[in-house]
Amino acid sequence: MYGWVGQILRVNLTNGTIKKEALDMVEAKNYLGARGLGTRFWIKECDLKMDPFSEANNMIFMTGPLTGTMATNAARYNVVCKAPLTGAMAASNSGGYWGPELKYAGYDGIIIEGKSEKPVYLCINDGEVELRCAEHLWGKDVNETTDTLREETDIDAKVACIGPAGENLVKFACIMNDYTRAAGRSGVGAVMGSKKLKAIVVKGSGAVKVADPDAFLTALTKARKMVKDHPVTGQGLPAYGTQILINILDQSGGLPVNNFRDSGTFPNADATSGETLAKTYLVRNKGCMGCGIGCGRIVNVPDGPFKSFGEGPEYEAGWSFGADCGIDDLAAIIKANNYCNELGMDPITLGSTIACAFELYDIGALKEGDVGRVLRWGDAEAMVELTRMTAFREGFGDDLAEGSYRFGSKYGHPELSMTCKKQEMAAYDPRSLQGMGLSYATNNRGGCHVRGYMTAPEILGLPEKLDNLVTDGKAQWTKIFQDLTASVDAAGICLFLTFAIGAPELSEQLMAATGVEYTVEEVMKVGERIWNMERLFNLTNGFTKDDDSLPPRLLKEPVKVGPCKGSVNKLDVMLPEYYEARGWDAEGRPTPEKLQELGLQ
Amino acid sequence: MKVKFFALLRDITGVKETTDFTGTILVELLEKLSIHYGKDLTRWLFAPTDPAQEKQLGGDVIILVNGRAIEHLAGLATPLKEEDEVAIFPRLAGG
Repeated sequence: MYGWVGQILRVNLTNGTIKKEALDMVEAKNYLGARGLGTRFWIKECDLKMDPFSEANNMIFMTGPLTGTMATNAARYNVVCKAPLTGAMAASNSGGYWGPELKYAGYDGIIIEGKSEKPVYLCINDGEVELRCAEHLWGKDVNETTDTLREETDIDAKVACIGPAGENLVKFACIMNDYTRAAGRSGVGAVMGSKKLKAIVVKGSGAVKVADPDAFLTALTKARKMVKDHPVTGQGLPAYGTQILINILDQSGGLPVNNFRDSGTFPNADATSGETLAKTYLVRNKGCMGCGIGCGRIVNVPDGPFKSFGEGPEYEAGWSFGADCGIDDLAAIIKANNYCNELGMDPITLGSTIACAFELYDIGALKEGDVGRVLRWGDAEAMVELTRMTAFREGFGDDLAEGSYRFGSKYGHPELSMTCKKQEMAAYDPRSLQGMGLSYATNNRGGCHVRGYMTAPEILGLPEKLDNLVTDGKAQWTKIFQDLTASVDAAGICLFLTFAIGAPELSEQLMAATGVEYTVEEVMKVGERIWNMERLFNLTNGFTKDDDSLPPRLLKEPVKVGPCKGSVNKLDVMLPEYYEARGWDAEGRPTPEKLQELGLQ
Repeated sequence: MKVKFFALLRDITGVKETTDFTGTILVELLEKLSIHYGKDLTRWLFAPTDPAQEKQLGGDVIILVNGRAIEHLAGLATPLKEEDEVAIFPRLAGG
């Protein structure tokens, strides 16, 4: 067995049984791992139409064949389940050290079934696996939980856990591993909370074998050099982190401002930028296991009302708590982001939900009596306090804990929820980035930037510069980005590598590691298979062409100022082209021929 | 006209922005910046070419004129006016 370690752990929380099973290698070769294989297993075993909080919603923690190998940036795993935020498939991706450790313990993945009556945690030490009482951990935040579990098991153990937000079924709760890395989107932490599973602790002493060590060393050395030599992965990201994007999106007119209402330019964007962070609160950078980049930020706000120490923010959190709320106070953004890490919440959805609240208050749809305080754009103190309250569903935080779609609907304005398929979009305005709009609209898990990052060609010129304001060619580009990303996710490597390397380098590393003939064509085919599988899940769950859409604001209200002034997203032009590029019918359904081609019939 | 620098280029120039330089087309402006700030900036702005040859844009620089990438304007020949803003970034990404 090469690349994969060949074993799955199956844990039933209802009856407490634990089984070890051989990995289904036919499925593994077709779907690689992580997002792909995890989703495949989930669909084979679960009732697709279930309530996400039902006992039958299996949670699958799955690594990829490169996870834990010496391949560059190969530290990723995915958590797969049906998502409470969207009703779509959740496959939330995280780095750190936990995923590799699971393979070193001898498992490609864990399938969690059922629900426990009382809080438990799963403890894995190579072949020894047991469920243990976690009542003493219930209510503790991520840092306290992780510290306690390392002390009572093994100080070198790796911990994935939920914080209070997951326990309180906040619909966008994360699973946090290694303190600050997150399986962040769609509410996988809430599903874990519904199962009363507080944590999974892993300690492994094994290794991952590769099929052709010499070829693997050659392939990974080449990839590592490309990553080191590239100005993005070798210089920009290590020095400034992902927050480096604030200024270029602002200067290009693509930074959403005030819940996307006032997009075009954010007057004091630079105050929240990666450049400013590097000169103020940055302590040092940080990477995941085997990382050649180091985009993570260790930050310290030494004093003042937002005094805190932690990790981040990433660009998306820097925007959601910043420009999207009209806030230019970097210390407040850091404080809110640290709350999200410690309490276990997705800052993209939360920041966007708070921005929605600010707008509802601005138009009078929300009153002081509803909130318990006055809300104004740019109120940093309110934003930070609402962040804390949301994790505990305290007061008005109980409304925010539902995400912006349900929250906006409650107060009569679902159209002010900046979501696709009920999940909040990230920090790129689709009126200013036409292709990114198409990517959001067609994303199988809803508003999300990491399943087809069209910002790369439209703004950053990677791998080549496309005009962000035109629609020509965007359908084909979006498909390619979506399919390649699916393969990258399934392989278990970091998406940021694709700024420096592409399908050929992934192909070389996969073939050498697994011994399977993953040509470039096959790598892209695996990605396309995963994408279509996810699509079929959504169609079975009642999603239709109408769900491949954007909030009406982005289709009707032109950008008011800046270089993209006057632009709206032309989704009606791009969507038919996209369906055609995908080999789907006019209603967005994969044709029988396409399913046959992909082995999905 | 206003020229803005970002990321590593701020460290090279020592400033966030300047209004000290002008040009009727972009390449004129970049040549003045290159002379003033020296080779560390020059190697971002221009691809290495024979001095007798026409200047070519560096492969790892992003330049916006009034928020539009110069690839969608006229490249190095993009005409400039006094009220224009030119933003210069090293190649960068995130997400």
